Amino acid sequence: MYRRLRLCSNNGGYEAIPDPPLRLDLVAVRDRLEREGIAVVDARVMLLAATDPEVTVSRSGRLLFKTRDPAAAERAFQQLRRWLDLPGSEVDDKIPRRGGIA
Amino acid sequence: MARGVMLVSGGIDSPVAMHYMLRQGHELVAVHMDNRPFTDDSPLEKVVDHLAMLRERYRQPIPLYVVPHGSTQTTLMRNTDRHVGCVLCRRFMWRSAERVAEREGATFLVTGEALGQVASQTLSNMHSATVAVGLPIVRPLIGLDKQEIEAVAKEIGTYGISTRPGVCCQAVPDRPATRSNLVQILREEERVDVEQIIDDCVRKAIIL
Repeated sequence: MYRRLRLCSNNGGYEAIPDPPLRLDLVAVRDRLEREGIAVVDARVMLLAATDPEVTVSRSGRLLFKTRDPAAAERAFQQLRRWLDLPGSEVDDKIPRRGGIA
Repeated sequence: MARGVMLVSGGIDSPVAMHYMLRQGHELVAVHMDNRPFTDDSPLEKVVDHLAMLRERYRQPIPLYVVPHGSTQTTLMRNTDRHVGCVLCRRFMWRSAERVAEREGATFLVTGEALGQVASQTLSNMHSATVAVGLPIVRPLIGLDKQEIEAVAKEIGTYGISTRPGVCCQAVPDRPATRSNLVQILREEERVDVEQIIDDCVRKAIIL
């Protein structure tokens, strides 16, 4: 399950952190995002996806949304959840938990 | 006075270092390594605002080279040991700055580094990073602590710009090396085409 989205350390974006950490297959994640027409920079240990807002996807499942707008971050988070079959967050327990692309 | 090239990040330290150099009458050219998409737009925006303030204060044009660095970060992350990523990244920054110095007729490089301020700013890491270049490097803040630097930043008016929200560099590894081994650094660097990367980045630089 993801913890509640929170501002990152420098207050420049919102991060979503899964607890416990996931083990995402970043190649599969990249392929899935590209099928949605999203441009992805593959840095091997993380992906940088040109969603709106941009997001960094780490292998552990940590997501960093480059926006200071919590509603925009939450919308992007829910979009990614659907595309990548990620677990829900602690504020959204109506959505069933899943394991993510692994 | 001499002409130098200064690496500027948008943080608290680099405008303070620049202030000291300009106050002494040196002529500076600024180089910002643009880390997008590993950061957001905020570092560049901060640099632009810092320079507007310092240009006004010292009546100097201070050209700004914005050198794309994101693709270099991607190449390093895909091909080299993450543990030494910060040192490798710094070596490419210094090389880019030196290339700009050649173009601008500058004879030295400047940085806002202060010893031990972050995990990667250790003597061995600074040495491993800077042996990549031949020009002398000036570090006006090397012996100052953070509070002293912040006090000057507040005095010259750059502190409020530096502390605006922004996304930290996403390429920083979880556990960056604090003691780097130059032999290992050179071995890691052999995995990438250094000259090609620097050529590409400096060619794509824009001047503001």
